[in-house]
Formats: sequence, structure tokens, C-alpha cells
Amino acid sequence: MGLVARFLEENGFSTILLTMTPEFNREIGIPRIAAIEYPFGRVVGDVNDTEGQRRVLLETLSFLSHAKTPGEVVHLPFTWPEDPRNTKWHPPEASPIIKMYLQAIKKAGAEKRK
Amino acid sequence: MPASAGKVNGFYFMPPSLSAWIGQTIPDEDFDGDIPWTPLKKPVSETVFSLMTSAGINMQTDPDFDMQREKQEPTWGDPSYRKIPKTATQADIHVNHLHINTDYIKQDMNVTLPLGRFREFEASGIIGGLAPTSYSYYGYQTDPTALLEETMPKVAADMKTEGVDAVFLTPA
Repeated sequence: MGLVARFLEENGFSTILLTMTPEFNREIGIPRIAAIEYPFGRVVGDVNDTEGQRRVLLETLSFLSHAKTPGEVVHLPFTWPEDPRNTKWHPPEASPIIKMYLQAIKKAGAEKRK
Repeated sequence: MPASAGKVNGFYFMPPSLSAWIGQTIPDEDFDGDIPWTPLKKPVSETVFSLMTSAGINMQTDPDFDMQREKQEPTWGDPSYRKIPKTATQADIHVNHLHINTDYIKQDMNVTLPLGRFREFEASGIIGGLAPTSYSYYGYQTDPTALLEETMPKVAADMKTEGVDAVFLTPA
């Protein structure tokens, strides 16, 4: 999504990217990032948590209005209430690319543990 | 364990093997190239927003994003986009995505496309306005050429027509 943000900025739109993976900023160079440690698929907040969603969005808009430097990142101070293993963000079936690279993924994991 | 030193850890929710695999592709150093920049020209309370998500949401009246071809060609992702009117309700939308659990979006699209919240922000004057159209595409793009060269120019043209100043982006 960082590449889309860059495209839009080049075309005269200000952008704000609310994302759970700010690390991609190192690869791509994203104009403005509000980073949040929320699970994939629920970057704004949990289902029907209107007040929680609202707080996240207002903090993000506040950052948008203050950000002055290209590539600026804010780390939002919100904490997801569940243990990561209980968030059930995974698709019901492994994605095609994960199936294709399963051996490489296992190998990367094994090397990391060494 | 929460993130270290108040910094968001993008791998926090990933299984360790997947983190290690994806981490291999991300450089350790900060990005040092140019970053395009359009300053926010007005206060947020006067700014017209459009929303864009990469969650693969579409209106029920529009075609679904193509998951079948990706199942045959795992390195391909549908590069098209869908318009989502600002008036869209939960019953109007559909979602397809092979890389996340879509159950939450099916219950409350605001978890990734916060149209309801932005309608409230518009009504209460927190933002200058919500454009008539928001946008959805499919975030799994191993080759972003078609997305950037064919899809996004159409989106940008529509945004200009609708007087959009700023775009609020939410990945899946």
C-alpha cells in the first residue's frame, strides 16, 4: 500500500497510511505512516467497537495534520487486548503463495531459531 | 509481550517462521531515497477525504475480486479496483481475500474500511467532508505494475473530479 500512497502524493493528494506493518517503510519510503499494533484485517479496531475505532482514527487524523516531514512515522499507543495467538486473523486455508513456499518458510524459521 | 519501547512491531501477530521469511526481504536500514509529498493544504476540519482499503471489498452489485486465478497462479493477484459509495451499508458489501480471515469485515466493515466513522466525522464537522466515492483494491500484488499504471490513474482521476484533498489508506 506504500506504493499507492506514493502514487497519490505524486498526483497531488495528501495521504495517511494507518498500518500494522511500518517496517515496509524501510523498503518503500512511505509519505506518512500511523503505525498500530493491531492484527491483520482489523487495522482500525475490533468489530462493533465504535468508540475504539473512533479513537484510533482521531489519533491518526491528528498525526496527519501535524506531520511535516516525508517519511514521518507515528507509533500509536493502542494495545490489542488479546494474545496474538488468539486473534484468529489467518484465513481458514493457507494462501496459495504460502502453500507454494511452505518449505522456504519453514527453513527461514529454522535458521532464525539457530 | 507488547512491542518494545513504544514502537509497533509489524511481526507481532505473525507466526515466527513467517516473520523470518518476510523479514528477509525488508532492509535493516532506513529508506534513503526521495519520498513524494503533498502537504495538507487545509485543516482537517476543512479537508475532503476519500478512503481506500486493500482488503478486497466490493459492492454486492459489482463483480468479486478474482480469487480463482490466484489459486491457479499463486504469484498473481487481481490488480483491479472497486468503487464503494459513501452511503454503503454492511448489507451492500462483499469481501474476498485469501491472506486474512475476512469474517470480521463481514460483520463490521469499519474494522478496515471506516465509512461509518467517517460519515460521523463529516456530520460532526471533524473533517471537511467525505467524498461521494471511496475505493477498494486487492492488496496481494507481487508485481504492482498493473495496479500502479492502469488502476490507480483511474482512481486519481475520479478523486480529482470529486474534489478529494486527502486519502485515508487502510491495508488488510
